[in-house]
Amino acid sequence: MVTAINDDLFSPAVVNDPYTYFSQLRDEDPVHWNEKYELWVVSRYADLVWVTRHPEFFSSEWWKKDPRGPYPEIDESDLGLYQYVREFFSDWFIQHDRPEHTEMRMVVHSYFNPKAMELWRPIVQKAVKSLLDEAEERGSMDAMKDFAIPLPLLVIAQMMGMPNQDRAFIRELAEKLLFLGRGELNRMQPLTDGIKGLLEYLSPIVAERVKNPGEDLLSVLAIGEKKGIYTRDEVLANAVLLLLAGHETTINLICNGTLALIQHPDQLASFREDPTGRTVRATEECLRYDAPVRSIQRIASEDVELGGKMVRKDERLRWFISSANRDPEVFPNPETFDIARYPNPHVAFGSGIHHCLGSTLARLEGQEALRLLVERFPRLNLEVPARDLSYQPSITFRSLKSLPVSWN
Amino acid sequence: MPRKLKITVDTNVCVGNATCEIFAANTFALNEDRQSMVVNPDGDPEEKVLEAAENCPVSAITVADAETGETLFP
Repeated sequence: MVTAINDDLFSPAVVNDPYTYFSQLRDEDPVHWNEKYELWVVSRYADLVWVTRHPEFFSSEWWKKDPRGPYPEIDESDLGLYQYVREFFSDWFIQHDRPEHTEMRMVVHSYFNPKAMELWRPIVQKAVKSLLDEAEERGSMDAMKDFAIPLPLLVIAQMMGMPNQDRAFIRELAEKLLFLGRGELNRMQPLTDGIKGLLEYLSPIVAERVKNPGEDLLSVLAIGEKKGIYTRDEVLANAVLLLLAGHETTINLICNGTLALIQHPDQLASFREDPTGRTVRATEECLRYDAPVRSIQRIASEDVELGGKMVRKDERLRWFISSANRDPEVFPNPETFDIARYPNPHVAFGSGIHHCLGSTLARLEGQEALRLLVERFPRLNLEVPARDLSYQPSITFRSLKSLPVSWN
Repeated sequence: MPRKLKITVDTNVCVGNATCEIFAANTFALNEDRQSMVVNPDGDPEEKVLEAAENCPVSAITVADAETGETLFP
């Protein structure tokens, strides 16, 4: 019997357990027209890869081009704020198509290349060790607040050359930006506040970098302005993007990975036997099994057939990483968490020309955080019953609200 | 004469980011699956090819001296 598909992607059932939901969708209607939110939902691995590798059909410029209003609906009085938010996000380089996308991405691309990122490994290791020292002294920790958040925040702030004492303030504003993928009726206000706060904070720093560029990431963007590739508004918007994307997703990798390990004691034990030798594949499996980013949106540039359905020009489409990473057509026993899984061609970082710019950094931070955590605390366990854990009601990010752990 | 290069792309790793095509457009192109392939190993100067390999976000490209077999990247 075919059960009706629940189109409320923001409902607690889908938010907390996307895997059961998408397993049904993949089987019954892999390219599904979601009536409630008027968008195509793409759930199979092969379709996701095809969409991401054909950017000429599926545009990233949906903030600018979407003729439909926001979904879920917002307070009518917030339409002005929506316009502001929309213009801001349209400046992100990831929301552009070729040729602008290439030009904008190339300004920052080499900064994040694997060779350059490897130089950050000792810095990351030192930061992880110091966070674990503090936790050990306290005897327990919220792996979210005390470990997963501070680590990537420290790294991205250091990359951008921001003072250490500003980190708490930056995080407070960044959290408002996370309303981006959420469904609350009044979400435009915190979003606007977060954007304005970060722009206000960054403006004088960016002005200084344009005048006296250094080696840091903000200077790299500032040089993009000097070359005429970015306007000042674009430099600022993309500084916000790099700041946000540079830490939020890694937070989720560390937390979701830690939780997966705790919930699979045999895998945790296996990791513990050889942390150095197993860390790369273990991290890849964490990225596959409970990916930091749930889904990404596109808008059709022309009528195009996908999985037997006709997607019309200007229709929205969302591809779900959480679903593709569990597709049995690609991954044997996809529901099994297996830290030795190989090959593991997961799409946690997307694919194609928009493949995550910071993937190497995310991997490096994830590897060092998980490896050193397991080495330090062989007997890791949850401090609360698993049923008490909950996720942010976002269709973009797979974010736990907290993750209290102990090691006795 | 510049030395001959042996350039390989691991299609099990390539995600079709197309960075290589941007750095060395006469050497790399995307195939039907939108993954990178070498269309002409002599298409660009050696430093362009090495730059392409170094900037591949998933390190899918290896470069060697075609005659001696010496690895030039990674």
